Formats: sequence, structure tokens, C-alpha cells
Amino acid sequence: MRLEGKVALISGGSRGMGAFEAELFLKEGAKVVVGDVREEEGRALVDKIGGDSVFVRLDVTSELDWAAAVNEAVDRYGRLDILVNNAGISARGSIEETTVAEWDQVMDINAKGVFLGTRQAIPEMRKAGGGSIVNISSQLGLVGMSESSPQYQASKGAVRIFTKSAAVQYAAEGIRVNSVHPGPIVTPMTEARRSDAAVQEVMISRIPLGRYGESEDVAYGVLYLASDESSFVTGSELVIDGGWTAQ
Amino acid sequence: MADRPPRLEGKVAIVTGAGSSGEGVGNGKAASILFAREGAKVLLVDFQEDRARETLDIIQEEGGVASTLQGDMTKIDDCERMAQTAMERYGRVDILDNNVGISQRGTVVEVSEEDWDKVMTVNLKTIMLASKATIPHIIAGGGGAIINIASIAGLRAHSSTPYTTSKAGVIGLTFSMAADHAADNIRVNAIAPGLVYTPMVAPRMNDDLRQFRADAAPLKTEGTGWDVGYAALFLASDEARWVTGICLPVDAGLTSVHPGTFTPMNQQTRY
Repeated sequence: MRLEGKVALISGGSRGMGAFEAELFLKEGAKVVVGDVREEEGRALVDKIGGDSVFVRLDVTSELDWAAAVNEAVDRYGRLDILVNNAGISARGSIEETTVAEWDQVMDINAKGVFLGTRQAIPEMRKAGGGSIVNISSQLGLVGMSESSPQYQASKGAVRIFTKSAAVQYAAEGIRVNSVHPGPIVTPMTEARRSDAAVQEVMISRIPLGRYGESEDVAYGVLYLASDESSFVTGSELVIDGGWTAQ
Repeated sequence: MADRPPRLEGKVAIVTGAGSSGEGVGNGKAASILFAREGAKVLLVDFQEDRARETLDIIQEEGGVASTLQGDMTKIDDCERMAQTAMERYGRVDILDNNVGISQRGTVVEVSEEDWDKVMTVNLKTIMLASKATIPHIIAGGGGAIINIASIAGLRAHSSTPYTTSKAGVIGLTFSMAADHAADNIRVNAIAPGLVYTPMVAPRMNDDLRQFRADAAPLKTEGTGWDVGYAALFLASDEARWVTGICLPVDAGLTSVHPGTFTPMNQQTRY
């Protein structure tokens, strides 16, 4: 198994990509801590996937929550090897329409959340002799899209370069940090936009492979980066976007 | 093995440059072994067939299915014969892993026109020709994956101008082929290995230089052909079914840092 003996913490793990990752990691031999603010869905998920999985309430903007989540991994499963910074929210609007409060909310969850999680995870990964952090950025952390929003794009761009900063700071301790850049994926987060047929048509027209991605398309990339198969990969951007940014 | 089917079950792969130019395991050899281990039938193509046979021996010892073919990927006739051979032996082609490559150092002033043409032909044109011959068969099977081995030398200066240029070409070719053939359900991706220790670079290495190269990247570990092979396995498999037109560095973080930090230009002649 590709993650045998490893312990993983996944933020935003209750649904969408995070939930698929939790299930996949479990199948590949990992013990999994699912963190999310969505408690009901999170508990239902760990009941469903079973095995060595546990839910913790995790608001990624709270350093105390992060500390508790990391402690849960260590107390229950003895170590922490993998952190997937998956939690995130979406936003739409122009720069002029965007309020400071809207900007701050997205930056807090999507960017500061990654910083806080990484800061809490590093000491335990050091104790474990190394580890792998996978940060979910976005294709919109790489290229502009007028239908998105300044705060979403800026937050995902921040995740991209934060990843490289963390990668070079902790490489010598065997901690690898990589970013994943999904294109439009069929998840609860993108549901509102996908329900607009005209928008969906435009989006699909921009994707060379001709369809939205599924959670599993992203989860397998996360699995590769989490596993020792990518032990020589750090600071890299894994783009999973059906070819969007290649054009 | 996990409780799941092999990752390339039922697939047929062609690996060019499937042998290694010396002892040890290069990128093509590692990918071939991993593909076979995950259930693919593999056509092992090499200019020197005896090298491909060494890869075959390892695969057969592990109980995998593969066979060798001599082929010069700089010749379209050989590329077409390669694709036809895969069809005759295995009935389909799903994966093409383009590994053929040579090193070539020097500035534009130093390099001879002959050497320039050679590296562009071997590192870049071979991918075009092998893909040209193979893509119709991949389309006939409903789609597949092409993996092109580029290099981080294609992303920045590397004191090997002809090599860098050819590898930058590989990356451009990858983006373009990905866009051209997405509608055919063919995914095309590149891998940019960093300073991996493979049989290709071994002849100009010594212990000090190997240590220098390992220390050059943030992880400070020595990469091998296996690191590149596992990336190729991911990109070849259906796990990467929504991944196309990317260039994935497998470089221990080397391209994540300012070049001056880890690749001192005053050391450049040591590469």
C-alpha cells in the first residue's frame, strides 16, 4: 500500500475533494484525521469510511483548532506524516465590488489557513523524521479569469508561492511541500456556478479534455504527492486542469 | 500490493530509450519496470537492443510481460515499425513514454553546428516522430497518454545551451500536443527531472560531483531514475486522467529557489 503506516490530516475533509482524499488515503493504508467546520458531514464521513479515521472540528483560521487537530493525530495515531491543506472557499466579483470584509474572509481561510496549518504540523513532522504537505491552490492561482474574484485569485496565488517558501525552508529536514492546481471540479463548492448552464458551457469550452474534473481526479494527484513515490518532488506545482493552462 | 487492481491493468506501453547506457537504472528503464509491475505490457525500444534486453530480464524475473525492439527514433521508418510492432504483439497502444535523450554542453560559440543538430534531433525530433507514428494507434484504441522526458534544464540556464534549448522545445511540444490531441482523449505531459543520478550522466561524475549535485537542491538527496519513473507511472495511469499539458518538475526543489542560492554560476563548468 502506498501510504502504509502513515498518518494524515486533511482540512476541509468533510466533503468534495477532501472527503475523496480521506477515503483514498485510508484504502492506501494511512490513518486519517478529517478536519472541517462541517461537523455533521464530517462525522458522517468517518462513520462511512470507517477504519482508522477520526473527525475533528477544524476552523482553519483558528490556530487553537489547528493545534487540537494536530494533537488528535499524534495522540490517537502516534505521529503526523501528511498534511493536506484542502479547506477553501470560493468568491466572485470585481475588485470594485469587493469589500474589505470579503477580501479578508477569503484570504483568512484560503491563505492564512494554510500558513497556520503548516506552522502547527511542521514540529510533528520533524519528530516523525520528515513528511509531506500538499497545498490545494487552483488553476486560478496561476492564470487570471474575469469571472473569478480578486480575493480568490490572490489567495490561491499566495498558496502557490507559500508552498515554495515552505519547501525550501524545510527541505533539509525531509519535509516536502507541493501545490496542486485543480481546474473546475464537480464539488459542492462549485455547485452554484455549475447550476448555470450558460456558465457551465463557457467553462467546458475552455477545457481541452472537454469536461469538468471530478474529486477523484484531484485526489489521485494528492496521493502521489503524499506518498514516497514523489520523494524527490518538492516545491512543484501539479496542475490538474484538463489542459486549461496549457493553452 | 494494495487491495486494488494494478494501476496499468490491460494497458500497452511503448517506452523509447528503455535501456540504460550503463550500469544502473535510468529514467526509461525505471519506467519500463514500474509499468510492467503495474500490469502493462511493455514494448522496450532502444537504439541498442542489448540494453533493452537488460530491462527485459528484470521485468521477466518479476513475472511481467514485455519484449524488446531495436529502433532508431530519429528515423520515421523505425518509429512506424515500432508502433506496428506494438500493435502486432499486443493489439493496442495506450501509453508512449519518450525517454530518448543525450547530453550536450557548451555555449553557442563553443558548440559545433553538427553537435547542435544532433542534440535537437535526438532530444526533440525523436519525440515528434515517435508520437507521429504512434498517435493514430492510440486514437484507434480510444485514447491514452504520452509522457515526454524534458529537464529542468529546459526551464532555466544550465550551462548546457544546446541541451537546454532542446528540452525547452520538449516542453513547448508537450503543451502543443496536449492541446492538439485533447479531443482525441490523448493526454500529453512532460516531466522535468532535476539533477538525478542516472547512467546517462554517470560517465562524467565522480564522488565529489555526485555529492555536489545532491547538495545543490533543497532536499539534499540524490535523485534516481526511479523518481522519474514513478512520476511517469502516475501520468501514464488513469489516476491522471484529467491531467494534460503540464510539466512536472521532479527536482528536489531546485527550481523553487533563486538559482544563485543552489546553483552557483561559478560552479557551472562542474556540471
